[in-house]
Amino acid sequence: MGPLIPNGFIPFEWSSIIAIVIGIFFGFILEASGFSSSRKLAGVFYGYDFAVLKVFFTAAITSLIGLFYMDYLGYVDMSSLYVHPTYLWGAIIGGAIMGIGFVTGGFCPGTSLSAVAIGKIDAIVNVLGIMVGIFIFSELYTLFEPLYNGYFQGNVTLVDSLGINKYWFVFILTVVAIIMFAASDMIRKRVKKVFY
Amino acid sequence: MKDKEQNRHIYWNPYFGGFLLGLLIIFTFYITGRGLGASGAMKSSVVTIVDDVSHEHAKQSAYYSKFVDGDKNPMNNWIVFETLGVLIGAFISGGLAGRIGWRVQHSPKITRRRRLIFAFSGGILFGLGAQIARGCTSGAALSGMAVLSTGGFITMLAIFGSGYLFAYFFRKNWI
Amino acid sequence: MVNRKLVKFLSLRYKILAAVLIVLAGGLVLLPKYEKHEGISPEELLSKTISPERYISTDDIAHKIINQDPSFILIDVRDENSFKEYTLPNAINIPLKKILDNDATMYINQNQFDVVFFSNDNFYSDQAWILCNRLGYKNLHVLKGGINKWFNTIINPQKPTEDMPKDALDLYSTRKASSMYFGVVYPEQVEIKTPEPVKKAVPKKIITVKKKKKAPEGGC
Repeated sequence: MGPLIPNGFIPFEWSSIIAIVIGIFFGFILEASGFSSSRKLAGVFYGYDFAVLKVFFTAAITSLIGLFYMDYLGYVDMSSLYVHPTYLWGAIIGGAIMGIGFVTGGFCPGTSLSAVAIGKIDAIVNVLGIMVGIFIFSELYTLFEPLYNGYFQGNVTLVDSLGINKYWFVFILTVVAIIMFAASDMIRKRVKKVFY
Repeated sequence: MKDKEQNRHIYWNPYFGGFLLGLLIIFTFYITGRGLGASGAMKSSVVTIVDDVSHEHAKQSAYYSKFVDGDKNPMNNWIVFETLGVLIGAFISGGLAGRIGWRVQHSPKITRRRRLIFAFSGGILFGLGAQIARGCTSGAALSGMAVLSTGGFITMLAIFGSGYLFAYFFRKNWI
Repeated sequence: MVNRKLVKFLSLRYKILAAVLIVLAGGLVLLPKYEKHEGISPEELLSKTISPERYISTDDIAHKIINQDPSFILIDVRDENSFKEYTLPNAINIPLKKILDNDATMYINQNQFDVVFFSNDNFYSDQAWILCNRLGYKNLHVLKGGINKWFNTIINPQKPTEDMPKDALDLYSTRKASSMYFGVVYPEQVEIKTPEPVKKAVPKKIITVKKKKKAPEGGC
């Protein structure tokens, strides 16, 4: 059955409208969860607010469990979903650069967009910065190309690369996430409160 | 009015927000077969701007030419529409909670200017990293994790890992 | 006062939610495993199998070839040697062993043409038909009786005896006419010294459009 658009259940022309609707929900959830505040976002690195961690992992686990149940019941075909490709060193180095960008800027692209919508000037500056970053990358593309296109492992999932049972992995991830949630609450009680 | 002032920082319970976000990711995968994203729209904007300024340059560049070939308009893209939706949705949410207003949010210990400079440089790093890793926190990490993509997990670990590693050096900006 | 039980319950809410999550995730582990089967369901396969559209008669095919009907592809599923020895005009050779290869799918898995399998009789072509149907390909047919029947009906039609009904005579004359088209020379024609120039049908160019699989593209 699903995914609906690639399998032709919904005409392709509808995809832009659906995109806007999905975006509206995405933006609403981000903003309402407090992701438009850079100080709340940065709190995850200093232990005074773990909203990012909680939202991020709750979303990841919910979607994983939900998708697996839907796959099991035949509503969606997991094998036809887009799997983010794995470029090993590109992911590590790119991720590391993004991590530094996260602590310095306090935003990631999705959250900075939701902050732009409510008029945060630092978010507007951040978005401009992201665009400049993309511009720099594009201009120096030949320099980055070996990293960008190298170490390609295909559109693999953890099942392929680690050889583990996907259901057990989800289960273990859930337990780990719940332990992390409990631990984050304990850490937050010890860390000096920051008001923002 | 005072009530609103107090409510400004009352956000959703993070677990509730995360749960809804998870449902939205399932819905997105169910309908479109792929996940959410954000930095792709900025890439499209950059490509469009460069293409407008100098079409020749865009044609010659190895990276832009991927997106400007033929009659394809880089702005006519799923992710761009989704991003427009993000702006609308965030505006609605901010409007309902009374959080709209031109302001720069920064720690009282640092100046406005310093915050803006750091926001800008953070943005540059994020833009660069998002291109190298082919996706940002939402496109690569969150949507990748939902389908157990190895790349998504690596990106997520790298983002948070280096975030915690370098958090110490930037602590003055935040606490 | 507020309901004390409710307050007590609410104070436990995170633990309850965590338990729900763990139970749900554990459910995934404990679910009975099953193999998903690819392709169409058995019911659909059955209905296609008993459908009369599955077979195409040799007369129909002969008629289509003579009229240069562009809407079908003939696929010879016999091995290469037999294909070289004799085959139907414009047929493409895809031996049964190679029917799942990539080059073969290009011809079989498309929506433009009707696909007609044939072999010496029905046997191998039916196998090919089942295989491709299980993969969910569309517009598949089998030449009833295969090349043997083709010989017996089109190339070398049986002359009906006088006591047969008129239909049989008509059929014979059509078949004879078509066999002449395919280059068979009859004794009564021999007197006319000029042998009928064998009309070589222009080889049909088959350009199949590869089915586009609309794969979802990446996000960021």
